[in-house]
Amino acid sequence: MSEWGLFTDATLCIGCKACEAACKQWNELPADGYALSGNSYDNTGPLSATTWRHVQFVEQFDRLNPSESRWLMLSDVCKHCTHAGCLEACPTGAIVRNEFGAVYVQPDVCNGCGYCVPSCPFGVIAVEPNRGVAQKCTLCYDRQKDGLEPACAKACPTDSIQFGPVEELKERARRRTEELLARNVPARLYGVDETTSVGDLNAFFLITDRPEVFNLPPAPVLPSTYQPVAYLSGFLATAALAIVAMQAFRSR
Amino acid sequence: MTDAARQNPSQITPDAVAASLARGDGGIGREQHSYDQHPVLRKAHWRWEIIWYFYVGGLMSGNALLAAAADTFGDEHDRAVVRIGRWLAFLGAAASPVFLIKDLGRPERFLNMTRILKLKSPMSVGVWSLIAFSGFSAIAALEETAGRGRVPWFLGGALPRGARNLFHVLAASFTGSYTGVLISATAIPVWNAGRRQIPAIFVCSAIATSCAAQAAILAVTGGSPSTINKLERVEFVAALAEGALLVDYASSAESAGKALFGGAIGDRLRGSTLIGGIAVPALLNLASLFTKPGHAGKRNVVKTLVAAGLTLYGGFVLRRSLIAAGRASADDPRAALRHPE
Repeated sequence: MSEWGLFTDATLCIGCKACEAACKQWNELPADGYALSGNSYDNTGPLSATTWRHVQFVEQFDRLNPSESRWLMLSDVCKHCTHAGCLEACPTGAIVRNEFGAVYVQPDVCNGCGYCVPSCPFGVIAVEPNRGVAQKCTLCYDRQKDGLEPACAKACPTDSIQFGPVEELKERARRRTEELLARNVPARLYGVDETTSVGDLNAFFLITDRPEVFNLPPAPVLPSTYQPVAYLSGFLATAALAIVAMQAFRSR
Repeated sequence: MTDAARQNPSQITPDAVAASLARGDGGIGREQHSYDQHPVLRKAHWRWEIIWYFYVGGLMSGNALLAAAADTFGDEHDRAVVRIGRWLAFLGAAASPVFLIKDLGRPERFLNMTRILKLKSPMSVGVWSLIAFSGFSAIAALEETAGRGRVPWFLGGALPRGARNLFHVLAASFTGSYTGVLISATAIPVWNAGRRQIPAIFVCSAIATSCAAQAAILAVTGGSPSTINKLERVEFVAALAEGALLVDYASSAESAGKALFGGAIGDRLRGSTLIGGIAVPALLNLASLFTKPGHAGKRNVVKTLVAAGLTLYGGFVLRRSLIAAGRASADDPRAALRHPE
């Protein structure tokens, strides 16, 4: 079966947060309180165990050149990486890749060790303190099994969030980027044709500024790539100190 | 946009705006380095249990190594190291799972860790290594109680003593160093910046604190001066290597290291670990280096206890600082959003 994903086009986002509301409602995620952040219209805060969609409001206002001002909106979500840090880190096998190509946490298997949390280069997954298990976007696994699109894509009024087979979405996204560039909109794709160790993202984005402006790492690294040198470091130190201990106990 | 232009808006010219747009910061007159300074990464919930597990894990694996080395290469005076080392390893192995299980979000599901063995996950490999270590430690402690040659055949009694020591050492080596790999191989900038040093630092600290614990027990119980001398020699080398690795870590980590080496966390680490836990005990142990174990006189008990206490405290502060630095680093968007070199 082909992989299914999400194409989030920031140029079409109007910041209505329908995706956030639909996600919370469908997945029965609790509210996160009613604090005002003071940051534009973003009172949601970053993705968490109970927030699986997060609309960012990037203000780029210049009072001297109001015509050049921009207000960028982007609905952030789990990226469902080709090489997922959380999936590799999980010691119980609770995190799996399901038949739709999504990275899925089996809530009845996870024991809440929390190692997936610092292993995600995008800061998506988190442990929900009340249930004690790691949670994140499931790409609406239950809806997909019934042939429905994820709640966020269904609710999006401008088709800023599109759901479909990943390869088809990528083609559409490339065409859209060319179209925007021809109209002098500085569009670029994030998560398509990537050369990073994380690889392409099944949930990718079209953005109109550098990735870091949207808190997207410009060069995400798959944490397991750090393992060989780390294991070597521990092995060499152990070998060296074993020789020291041997010599010390031998001396008279 | 230049700093001057930012401070004096009258210098914002159409050219500057065009250049700014070309760079991609939208002509807003300031560079945006992150989304409103929001953290990019989430932090692990790991609490005091994990700090204590890292600490006890070092002590138990270091003691197992010392016990095996003393058993294989030591003289009859060093039997005390074997006995103390094996018992401390067993006690540590008994306490470790308690810390680990208590830290889980769903402690009753701890057995899910044993559903699979996943080589890609240091957490999974570490759990299996800890299980193996616990088994070998229990057998070694049993041998100390029942006496040599009294280990039942189905617990490895049929194996030669050297083979049992080797298995114990291999499991101990892995258990003592994988925790360093565990935190190094994450997305947390301050941790992965230390991937060349952290596992080695953990091993050195494990050996240093284990020597300190042994020396303290031997000094109080009237152990052989030659044995204490040997332990202090090992501790001296391990502590010095640990200090050198910490300095190397600090100098190579660049901006990502600020979470560990800057601010209050850095002050504590320098004061309690680098100076108090490494430099001062090394100076106190310096005399042992110039005395042959066979010629070592009666040790000053107070001096040994002070050096051991400082080393043990420094090792604990090291682990606590690393966990605290991981939290601080996850909150710093600049480190997570850095461009590749």
